[in-house]
Amino acid sequence: MTDFVQNTLDGLMIGSSYGLLALGFTLIFGVMRRLNLSYGPSIMVGAYLGTFVYVQFGASPIAVAALAVAGAVLAGIYVERLCFAPMGPGAGIASMVSSFAIWMQLEQAAILVLPRHTYPYPPLAAVAPLMLGPFMVRLDHLVMLVAAIALSTGMHLLLYRTRFGLALRAIIGNPVAAHLVGVNVRTAMLGAFALASGIGGIAGYLVLAADQQVTSMFGMWATIKGLIAMMIGGLGSIPGAVLGGLVLGIIEMHGQWYFGSQVRDLIAYFLLFACLVLRPGGLLGDAPTRETAAYGRRA
Amino acid sequence: MLEISDLVTAYGKIEALKGVSLQIAGGRITCLLGPNGAGKTTLMMTIAGILQPRRGSIRLDGAELVGLSPARIVAQGVALVPENRLVFPQMSVRENLLAGAYQRGDKAGISADIERMYQRFPRLAERREQLAGTLSGGEQQMLAVARALMSRPRLLLMDEPSLGLAPLVVAEVFRIVADLDRDGTTIFLVEQNAHMALQVARHFYLMEQGRVTFDGTPGELAEDEVIQRAYLGTRRATA
Repeated sequence: MTDFVQNTLDGLMIGSSYGLLALGFTLIFGVMRRLNLSYGPSIMVGAYLGTFVYVQFGASPIAVAALAVAGAVLAGIYVERLCFAPMGPGAGIASMVSSFAIWMQLEQAAILVLPRHTYPYPPLAAVAPLMLGPFMVRLDHLVMLVAAIALSTGMHLLLYRTRFGLALRAIIGNPVAAHLVGVNVRTAMLGAFALASGIGGIAGYLVLAADQQVTSMFGMWATIKGLIAMMIGGLGSIPGAVLGGLVLGIIEMHGQWYFGSQVRDLIAYFLLFACLVLRPGGLLGDAPTRETAAYGRRA
Repeated sequence: MLEISDLVTAYGKIEALKGVSLQIAGGRITCLLGPNGAGKTTLMMTIAGILQPRRGSIRLDGAELVGLSPARIVAQGVALVPENRLVFPQMSVRENLLAGAYQRGDKAGISADIERMYQRFPRLAERREQLAGTLSGGEQQMLAVARALMSRPRLLLMDEPSLGLAPLVVAEVFRIVADLDRDGTTIFLVEQNAHMALQVARHFYLMEQGRVTFDGTPGELAEDEVIQRAYLGTRRATA
């Protein structure tokens, strides 16, 4: 019983980092109706920028965190300008494939600059686990949970209480109509992309600070975890993204406990498969319809 | 007020507009008739800036609109009620109206205008917190009109507001169009329902296969034999 609760706690906290990754992913997907495979690699660029400055100049954790977010935002803007802004309506596949090309480009660039397989990453703070009775909670994991709650609440407020949020929801609802009411759709999309990459940058920093190391494979890891959490939670749904992340984290932790850590990723893929078969729209999303497909074509 | 000359808009190699020229006078309703595929919606989308013309010009009170982004064209005072309404389905009626006023900064004025819309469209007032996607077709049409009016346009473009609506609802839509006309709104109306359009419009154009083929008053329209047969059905000659 103790193990069960401990695993659930760990899963909740790991899952909140997945939820954050999915949050950024779902924002891009909701606004663009296109998949950005370069989402994780953009985060990796920020992470590598942080570790580069850390290894070369011994920068403080706060500077590393700031660079991780700034690098992710800049890389995100680069991806948007190259893979999304120039592609006209109906070119969703072209955006996805070109974002795959940029993924490879960013990964190779990172390897050229920092060629070793693994680099150290500064921890968030001196890590003394918190004891809650028989249960152990890592402080840096707790920060992930708090960040996930704070950022998803902030995102909700942004979408429903601000002018920028109104513009994004208009684009999500119907891109042509958003143009017609006077939303500057291209600018708003770029803003959404930068925001999403920034959220991803925060998530990436928190995960790496907990792991205390980074490899060039981190981009792929972030894309895949974010994508799976988003699909489980429901495409384009903000509460769904967080919930999907938490579900994925908790099931991964339990699976790892019972079957060993080598099956952790296998469990994630199995969960995705089961979700696509049983609930193709995700936990909180609408099942895809002809209509949503049509919106995709217009976007 | 609006002067369109030699407008050509193409989808790839196919020219949907093959040199369209027409004028819309201020303070009254101008109606564009034409069969499906004539290029009416293409013309509307080109005026609104969603589509870029290959050549030609669109001048609003002398200022060129071609080349401006859709957002800038809204800022110039042109609002389009699009074909099939295109309301924001996941937003409430009220939020749709707020989105219509997206470019305005005067909060008090926006609130006052929303109240004015509720008076003009009582059905929207009853459903102000309901999601627009759950409204009936007629209600969505009213909402689309109200949303366009929220930007306080100088020129209102309406693309087939009666499309897919029941006859009673069509009558209601035209009552609103007549109301707007009485208030002095300049309207450019695309319609296939020539009978209804004849009751409100003061000038008519007919478009066929991307070209303007008729330009005249309601009286001249009613006298034109070809139009009578095709659009008014008075001869009951063809099936």
